[in-house]
Amino acid sequence: MIDSLREHLSTDWAALTFIDWFGLLVVVILATLMFVLYVYVFSPGNKEKLESHRDFVLKDDLTDGENNHGRK
Amino acid sequence: MSAITTDDKTYNFDVVRAFTICAVVYLVVGALVGVYIASELAWPVLNFDIPYITFGRLRPLHTNVVIFAFGGCTLMATSFYVAQRTCHVRLWSDKMAWFTFWGWNLVMVLAVITLPLGMTSGKEYAELEWWIDIIIAVVWLSYMFNFIMTLAIRKTSHIYVANWFFLGMMIMITYLHVGNSLAIPVDFTKSYSMFPGVQDAMIQWWYGHNAVGYFLTAGFLGIMYYFIPKQANLPIFSYRLSVLHFWALMFGYAWLGAHHLQYTALPDWTGSLGAAVSIAMIIPSWGGALNGLLTLSGAWHKLRDDYILRFLIISLAFYAMSTFEGPVMSVKTVNALSHYTDWTIGHVHSGALGWVAMVSIGAIYHMVERMWNTKIYSTAMMGAHFWLATIGAVIYVCAMWVSGIMQGLMWRATDDYGNLTYTFVESVAAMHPFYAMRAIGGMIFLLGSIIMLYNIVLTIRNADKQPNMATAKA
Repeated sequence: MIDSLREHLSTDWAALTFIDWFGLLVVVILATLMFVLYVYVFSPGNKEKLESHRDFVLKDDLTDGENNHGRK
Repeated sequence: MSAITTDDKTYNFDVVRAFTICAVVYLVVGALVGVYIASELAWPVLNFDIPYITFGRLRPLHTNVVIFAFGGCTLMATSFYVAQRTCHVRLWSDKMAWFTFWGWNLVMVLAVITLPLGMTSGKEYAELEWWIDIIIAVVWLSYMFNFIMTLAIRKTSHIYVANWFFLGMMIMITYLHVGNSLAIPVDFTKSYSMFPGVQDAMIQWWYGHNAVGYFLTAGFLGIMYYFIPKQANLPIFSYRLSVLHFWALMFGYAWLGAHHLQYTALPDWTGSLGAAVSIAMIIPSWGGALNGLLTLSGAWHKLRDDYILRFLIISLAFYAMSTFEGPVMSVKTVNALSHYTDWTIGHVHSGALGWVAMVSIGAIYHMVERMWNTKIYSTAMMGAHFWLATIGAVIYVCAMWVSGIMQGLMWRATDDYGNLTYTFVESVAAMHPFYAMRAIGGMIFLLGSIIMLYNIVLTIRNADKQPNMATAKA
């Protein structure tokens, strides 16, 4: 079982081309960024800041929008 | 053209109105062509031995009209509407917006002419020939540039999440379209893909699934994140979830294309990777669907008499269902049964009719009321449209599910000696009742769309007759 798993996961690193390494690097960077995003979003310290935009679209009526809704 | 509202002094709603009207017209045209080709499959006599109206010629016309004409006009209308209202500025360039409008419609006219004539690159969802692809790229870039510049000159400190979804869609579609359309032209009527063999297949489905993932999902989620809270007059359930939803979708969808090519010449691991990420995508997809649905927490009674909200909410039910079904179908074991069968057609239409069309219809009704500063002419007709669209979509999808699973089972059935139990023709004969049922489901959906067009026309005509009411909003 362990041997078969080891065989399944074995990689011929020497055979990887430049494109393979580039792809691997991009995947690792993006996966790390996703992890950082999860930590940022679920951090209790950021909750109020992010959730303050929940009602953003409800403020786009005539008079109660930010900067008077941009109207001249 | 239309009643002038106070918002017209600040915003460019004329181009949004034009895109909105075109979207409704294209919905009827696209559904009509769809019903006709569905009927051709059930009753082949409808081909009339005329090459221009055969299934092979009209099918790409149907997909181009519903996806790019109806879906594209809806996206352009809603994104320009939402960007202006949430950035509190007029579109960066009115002229460029009109260039986008006329250019996009020119492309659709060219599709109507060239596809029935048999001019096709042979790439699914990207059938138009190379010189039309160049026009598409120019028009699309004008759309994206205008949108980005509108965000750049915004008068708000925050860019609302709906705009993120729209912008993500625009960026991804730009490089998908350019990458997939790279071809060697022979003449104006023919070109060949720049990619050979299995690489072409991979590029095709990298594009094909991302057309679904970014054009038909991310863009329409932008619609969802603006129009559901706005129509319900309630804050979105969780803004943090919407941020995660956006980035997870942008990160994840690009990986899925290979799941369309299970059991082909493509390396086995690519299909497995596509299936694995597809399964992972259930999490952000359902998170997003729940984010929309739970916005109505404690206010479900609003659905009782608000048909616009009904369209928007039922679209999320179909979205959740499709984004579960798709990953399940991508798993090799299930794919061995489902691929090349009508199950795929059922899956596509639960997304197209149930998710994309429903959320678009809800947004269009909402925008028409706001932009013409009036109420929809007939609530009863809107209610009839809701039920016809829902019942039509359910009949269509169920017919294809049953037909597809039956096909898959018949094709793989063997007797004790390993011989195939059924001939291919027997499976075709068994599908016939379900093809008839599918055509009827499509007809019901089409009827609803015609009622919508009629209702919208009367709404606009009535609004134009009452200029005093229309300006009263100030």
